[in-house]
Amino acid sequence: MSDNNRGAADSGSGSSSNGSSSSNGSNSGGSSTTIKASRSFVGMFKRLFVRDKDDVNILEEEALRTPGKTILLNLIHNKLAILGFCGFLAIVLFCFIGSLMFPINLTYNEYTHSSLRPSRNYLKYPAVLNDKNIIKIVSGISFSIALDEQGDLYIWGTEPNIYLPNVSDLIMSIPEAVKNAKIVDIEAGSRHVICIDDEGNFYGWGHYGHNQTKFPLEIAHFYEPPSGTAIEKMAAMGVWSAILGSDGYVELWGSMQASQSFIDLLRHKNIIDFAAGDNNIVLLYKDGTLGVSGLVGTEYYTQIPSQLQDGSHNIVSVVSTNRNVLALDDEGGLHLWGSAEYGLNKLPDISGRPIHIEAGYKNFVVVTDDGSIIVWGSNELGQLDVPDNLLGVAKVFVDYYQFYAMDENGKIIGSWGNKGYIFGSDHLGRDIFTRLMYGGRISLTVGLIAVIISTFIAILIGLPAGYFGGCVDQFFMRLADVFSAIPFLPIVVVLNFIIGHNISSVGRVYLISVVLGLLGWMSLARLIRAQLLLEREKDFVLAARSLGIKERFIMIRHILPNVVNFVIVSVTLNYASYMLTEAALSFLGFGVREPEASWGNMLTSAQETAVIQFYWWRWVIPALFVVAAAFSVNLMGDALREAMDPKSSER
Amino acid sequence: MVKYLLKRILILIPVILAISVLLFTIGKLMPGDPVRAMLPPTTALRPEQYQLAYDAMYRRLGLDKGVVEQYFRWFGNLIRYRDLGYSSIANRPVADAIKEPLKNTLMLNVFVNFFYLLIALPLGIKMAVKRGSIYDTGIQVASIATYSIPSFFMGLSLIYIFAITFPLLPAGGMPNTFLLGAWTWDSFKAWARHLTLPVAALTLMSLASALRYVRNAMIDALSQDYIRTARSKGLGEKVVIYSHALRNAMIPISTVIVMTLFSLFAGATVTESIFAYNGIGRLLLRAVTGRDTALITSLTLFFAVINIIAVLAADIIYGLVDPRIKLE
Repeated sequence: MSDNNRGAADSGSGSSSNGSSSSNGSNSGGSSTTIKASRSFVGMFKRLFVRDKDDVNILEEEALRTPGKTILLNLIHNKLAILGFCGFLAIVLFCFIGSLMFPINLTYNEYTHSSLRPSRNYLKYPAVLNDKNIIKIVSGISFSIALDEQGDLYIWGTEPNIYLPNVSDLIMSIPEAVKNAKIVDIEAGSRHVICIDDEGNFYGWGHYGHNQTKFPLEIAHFYEPPSGTAIEKMAAMGVWSAILGSDGYVELWGSMQASQSFIDLLRHKNIIDFAAGDNNIVLLYKDGTLGVSGLVGTEYYTQIPSQLQDGSHNIVSVVSTNRNVLALDDEGGLHLWGSAEYGLNKLPDISGRPIHIEAGYKNFVVVTDDGSIIVWGSNELGQLDVPDNLLGVAKVFVDYYQFYAMDENGKIIGSWGNKGYIFGSDHLGRDIFTRLMYGGRISLTVGLIAVIISTFIAILIGLPAGYFGGCVDQFFMRLADVFSAIPFLPIVVVLNFIIGHNISSVGRVYLISVVLGLLGWMSLARLIRAQLLLEREKDFVLAARSLGIKERFIMIRHILPNVVNFVIVSVTLNYASYMLTEAALSFLGFGVREPEASWGNMLTSAQETAVIQFYWWRWVIPALFVVAAAFSVNLMGDALREAMDPKSSER
Repeated sequence: MVKYLLKRILILIPVILAISVLLFTIGKLMPGDPVRAMLPPTTALRPEQYQLAYDAMYRRLGLDKGVVEQYFRWFGNLIRYRDLGYSSIANRPVADAIKEPLKNTLMLNVFVNFFYLLIALPLGIKMAVKRGSIYDTGIQVASIATYSIPSFFMGLSLIYIFAITFPLLPAGGMPNTFLLGAWTWDSFKAWARHLTLPVAALTLMSLASALRYVRNAMIDALSQDYIRTARSKGLGEKVVIYSHALRNAMIPISTVIVMTLFSLFAGATVTESIFAYNGIGRLLLRAVTGRDTALITSLTLFFAVINIIAVLAADIIYGLVDPRIKLE
């Protein structure tokens, strides 16, 4: 209760008290002596930054300085006001211009990218790789590892795991045993890595919540060097790993759900190659035919096109995303089937003869013999933004969203795809940076609508109450008492219940702002009334009245301008407090709802201890934006109050 | 004086009536079936038994009567028997369910108010005396900054710093030993440690407005003519500030202190929830999420009445401590 209404209550008591000035008394003399200069545009800027010592006749100055000008001058010479103004302007520009520049898909989510820490280094490979002959680059969701001819590993990117006992160890610290061995093959899952050395030893590290990094004991002895079966190929997915032995069998371990659904398919022998998605696997047999299997929900994936079932095409290479398969036959023909998601089931126009195919998480890549790269599929993280000037491409390494184009000698000649998330990602893998812009737009708008509504009501009620007094005053002020007693949370819940069903998530945003406005006018109304009680006794009102001007006219044209100062200050301070209230409401889950973003509802997840403890960027960054916005508005409001206070401009 | 008081109290009656009508309406519109909340879960009874029990409870709650009659019945019970209804989330009468959280909130707020007055009074006075200095501006900016921090962020940051990064204090809750009344040195220490973070969060947040209030009151007092008189008499600066200015500044400050005395009963919803502190603010949040109509209505009525009494008391105190003001 009390901390929700903290802002409104304070701005009431604060604005009503006078004598809150501080800094301007000393320099107002100097600042006001440059009126001549201010007549020209250049002079205005000159006055902003250079203090002119010319003296102007005091009488002349008095004639020139209107109250508005005085306020403006006071404001301009208050460094804090300028700071607040610039800060607020920057935030508004960030939210409104930024959201135009970075279009957002509100329903987008990528669960594999959940809670990634802030960084932009996913594609920043170490410079030392320019001198190495890379034979393979594998990537997880936020890191990549290169394997060179000497069997050394180079890792770059960002740690995707948080250290938790019995769930994961850190990817970015390569175990000593791996560093000392001569690695010959490596694969990366979303958050784990597996590799084998030249003696056939198996290593794994990273996330091991499903034991996906550990060779299961019951099969390990088949592959134990030196006499065991050699490992031909490996695959690592999100929660499982698989190997293909030289005996033509595929072994698979990790998440039970995945491995059990493929189990009958894996009894087949004569497998020479395989490709895997998160929930499915496609096997290439010695005779050039294919076998596929997948979990429920990946059915289209399992329907091999009829032209591949009769054995007329000899498949040499096969790759797969989660729901699509791309196969290359020995004549350079491409075969594609699966889900229509991201347009992955439609082959783009390919001019040359395909020599190499690869699959990312939601993309396929084809490299042709003329060295051109064709990428299609999703473009949510810049997967299709292939650099223009790539010459002599022999191969493309892609895992998840990181693409590396290689030349003949194993040098990286270009990289594109997901560079990382500058402010990290949230629990659904959404980019916090872009959501901050959209969330800010909503938070700033909610505050604005609320403050317009509440100010309008406050004037409508405070003016007549103060001007007419008596019964009108009693009625309106008791109404304010009643409204002050209405608690915020229950009203929002009730309104959500009554009209919440029928409105969209955007409509709910307006609902919140209207409720904020309807329940927030009381302190300003009381303030206006109190000020009016003082003003209406003054001589100019008496003069107006004796001239026979209508009451309504006196109230609006003569008295209202005299309280407008208080209204402006209160509008600024209330605006900040509405933003804070919206944030608190959304934080508690009663405000703006997902998928719509607001700074408050981006913080909802901070109710979980794990988020506070491990994923600081998910709550600190949005909260800092709320604080920065409220702080700059409050600075402006405070400076306005000082600038408008007649007591502060005394000489 | 007596006449003024009577008039003020008479005016309060329609206000409280209007609030009660409003809260009753909100309660009626709240989602959820109040009869169901009172009954054991459906699985415990056979369907026809449940229907019988449901009908009986429906009549007992008076839901078969008209809305107006229901209101008078509810309000009548409230006034005559102090019957606040039955809380469905706590599973006992509201009056019982409120007791413990109210006690906790009161205890929390006593500390908060003690500390923030302890800090705000001397700091505010010094700011006013050194008005315009770097010291004054610095504290003002800092207080604007704390004032711009949402309560939940303040709470979460304190938890993150003092309970997670440097595990010095517990992140929330309250040990049972205290609730059982077993007072040993260890249980006292645990109790104090659990109280530290919520008290710190609430104190920091109330500090900004309190500082501003003290500072403004003091500046007002210092700009009066009697201060100039005192100075021209040759009185020492200490005497001028603490005897002449402060005594007069205490007039507006004292009304604020009176209001805070009443606000001791009002819980801080967000802060109490974050620190899992079993106070009345957290109870309100739990009532809202649990759709406990009786509890919500009672709590909000309670807050409203306290608010009204606090404003009234502040007005009266203002008249009592300031001899220049005559209440009319």
